[in-house]
Amino acid sequence: MSRLYGYAGKILRINLSKRDVKVVDTPKEVVAKYVGGRGLNARTLYSEVGPNVHPLSPENKFMIASGPVAGTAFPIGARLNVSAKSPQTGLLGDSNVGGHFAAEMKYAGYDQIIIEGKSDKAIYIYVSDDGIEFRDAEGLKGLTVSKAYNEIRRELRDWRAQVALIGPAAEKLVKFSGVFFNVYRPAARTGLGAVLASKNVKAVVVRGEGCVEVANPKKFEEFVEGLEDSIYSHQQYWPRRVMGTSRILLTANKLGFLPVNHFQSSVAEYSYRVSGERLALEYNVKNRSCFSCVVPCSRFYVVKYGDYAGCFGEGPEYEALAAMTVRIGNDDLDAALKLVSLTNDLGMDVISVSEVISWCMELFERGMLSREEVGLSLEWGDVKSVMRLVEMIAYREGFGDVLAEGVAQAAEIIGRGKELAFHVKGLEMIQADPRGLKGYGLGFAVASRGADHLRSEPFIELLDDPKVGAEVFGEPEATLRLGIRGKGKLVAYYENWCALVDSLEVCKNIAENMEVLPPGRIAELIKVVTGLELTEAEVIKVGERIVNLERAYLVREGVRRRDDRLPKRFLEEPIKEGPSKGHTIDLDTMLDEYYIARGWDLTEGIPTAEKLTELELIDVVDDLRRAGVTLPLGRGGEEMRSTLPKVSERIKFYVGG
Amino acid sequence: MVNKLVVDFSKCVGCRYCELWCSFKHYGVFSPSLSRIAVVKDDFIGMDQPVVCKFCDPAPCVASCPVNALIRSGDGVINVNSEACVSCSSCVESCPYGAIKLHPNNSKPIVCDLCGGNPTCVLKCPTNALRIYPVSSVDLSYRDLIKSLGKEFEKSIQLHKELMALWGVRLE
Repeated sequence: MSRLYGYAGKILRINLSKRDVKVVDTPKEVVAKYVGGRGLNARTLYSEVGPNVHPLSPENKFMIASGPVAGTAFPIGARLNVSAKSPQTGLLGDSNVGGHFAAEMKYAGYDQIIIEGKSDKAIYIYVSDDGIEFRDAEGLKGLTVSKAYNEIRRELRDWRAQVALIGPAAEKLVKFSGVFFNVYRPAARTGLGAVLASKNVKAVVVRGEGCVEVANPKKFEEFVEGLEDSIYSHQQYWPRRVMGTSRILLTANKLGFLPVNHFQSSVAEYSYRVSGERLALEYNVKNRSCFSCVVPCSRFYVVKYGDYAGCFGEGPEYEALAAMTVRIGNDDLDAALKLVSLTNDLGMDVISVSEVISWCMELFERGMLSREEVGLSLEWGDVKSVMRLVEMIAYREGFGDVLAEGVAQAAEIIGRGKELAFHVKGLEMIQADPRGLKGYGLGFAVASRGADHLRSEPFIELLDDPKVGAEVFGEPEATLRLGIRGKGKLVAYYENWCALVDSLEVCKNIAENMEVLPPGRIAELIKVVTGLELTEAEVIKVGERIVNLERAYLVREGVRRRDDRLPKRFLEEPIKEGPSKGHTIDLDTMLDEYYIARGWDLTEGIPTAEKLTELELIDVVDDLRRAGVTLPLGRGGEEMRSTLPKVSERIKFYVGG
Repeated sequence: MVNKLVVDFSKCVGCRYCELWCSFKHYGVFSPSLSRIAVVKDDFIGMDQPVVCKFCDPAPCVASCPVNALIRSGDGVINVNSEACVSCSSCVESCPYGAIKLHPNNSKPIVCDLCGGNPTCVLKCPTNALRIYPVSSVDLSYRDLIKSLGKEFEKSIQLHKELMALWGVRLE
């Protein structure tokens, strides 16, 4: 194999304890098997961060990786993955983000940056053509995200420098603190900001004068033209450009899967007042875009009147919008924007913050939590108290110190409300009620980083078209929002696709949700950009390999089928009103189907040795055996089904056990 | 008539697609450092400002060059004679807009050449923030009338002039 195009070709390894910098070549055989981004990070994490590493110890590795297309003019390829062992879940920590950082990192000459060890004093890392510099960051301690960003740029005097930084919450080791890329773009899930803070690093800055070449410039140009056509002519192009994902809020209300008042209801009569439509009409002043993207879906807003006049920023997307409105029972959009802006500026994950706060509110409503304990009265929609509580969490003051541990831990600490703490594997639920979106529900349960939709995102459910399900998955229910059968196959398929999209580091919203980049075209793209010859079947296998590797990582950490659970409310309490009325989620039937589709063992959810071997993960088989995991033999899945007790009996076993 | 690359910064979303296609067209690689157009950004306040040669006449860069390596051609574009250039960067410093930069490897100035009349950046811009117009001027021969219509009208005409300048039309 000759040289690989597209990639920068180097990996930067920084050991802060030794103040040691190593530059190694990007291994060709690894990128041929994992493409880049999420795959590359998952591989490094599996090989180098074992079960005995504490997430906040110097041995944990903080990684930033982008893919082969970042830095080229490929219209949607500007994303990167941040990974480490998560302090929030103790498992796989991973978050994906857009912006201009990925491209600048490639121009500086690196595909991946791996940071380990711990600095003896606060620093920020400046990566440029002149080398790696550890600059003093004592003066930046405790600064909010926007202030620190401005300070760093003032010091560097360079508008092209791209900054990844953490806020004060991360410095206090809040478990769901994020890494923020240029102020408004957080990679906040799974608490990776705390990992960077534990290494005494306030920011990572990249700047490069280099360039990125593609293998076949002529074909690349044609490919991009074809892609531009399919994007510009797509029916979602304009809605996305005007509203981004904030348009989902009204759809969610229509279909009945909003998390109103901490999932107590699934519709809100005030939904228009807090919708993306109203945001676009009354607040947005301009659009902004990620690097080299033709769909500028990020919106810059300014609050023009009222108590919060003058509050400005980028976003919010659906998750943040629903988090600070319906989830906490707030119908005031001005206050919601202020809350999102405050939470981000302090450096926290809005989704997790909304869960811990709405959890408190529900406990408060049920009388399980008293005013004295919190120090605040927490009625639904009381934005003043929420604002105070957000600050208390970020600075770990009073009861905020308990909440800063994440909802799962907080419930353990106070010893109440465990069943109301909505998380999977320790990561808080996103803003979609799985009872009204069954495939998403299965996706939350099995996602490798915890309750998250971005690992599978079977958006096709929202279209409610049984024809596609029948054709592609052999089961019409598979693509029905409230159907059960066929979801295993559906989720497995979309997980593979998502893993592939994340590893290529293109935008999932456009590549996957707008369906402009199916696996066949991805194979073509990889060939045009890097020169690697992969068939469609092989690229799907890349996705499957990444999903299995991440599962193996979880298995090595002790995750089994019993951890692939949804909170009890979704399994047992039917939705009270709205279009999804009367629905609960039958998780176990779907889980069985999913494990069968994956070729994993049905009782424990462990990949079979045969499956891992088929995916060329032989070293993982050996490693898991060394770690004392009994890998199921045979093909798993279908063969094992006959030997198992009935689903209803097993539900008791799992819940009890 | 002289063509002019005109920027409507109110439409720019800061994707820097123009930079990439510019460097690709001229050098076959993707790099903002090799682009003749640059989008100056500030993410905190949401600023995206494309900076590109304004084809000033007379051009300070041409005047400042000590070895006459910059030559204005008939279509208004500044051409660089690389062999004569001594990489002193006086053109970079003289440009009031910061629209000239030096090539990171060979240190010769790179400046917009309008791609021979059909600029790639204009073709590729997803929001039509970049356009190409022949610079023309409209002679409003009612200067006295403007004055007599009062202050508001005068101010409005002034703003309209600025707007039309964005379209490449000069109101006289």
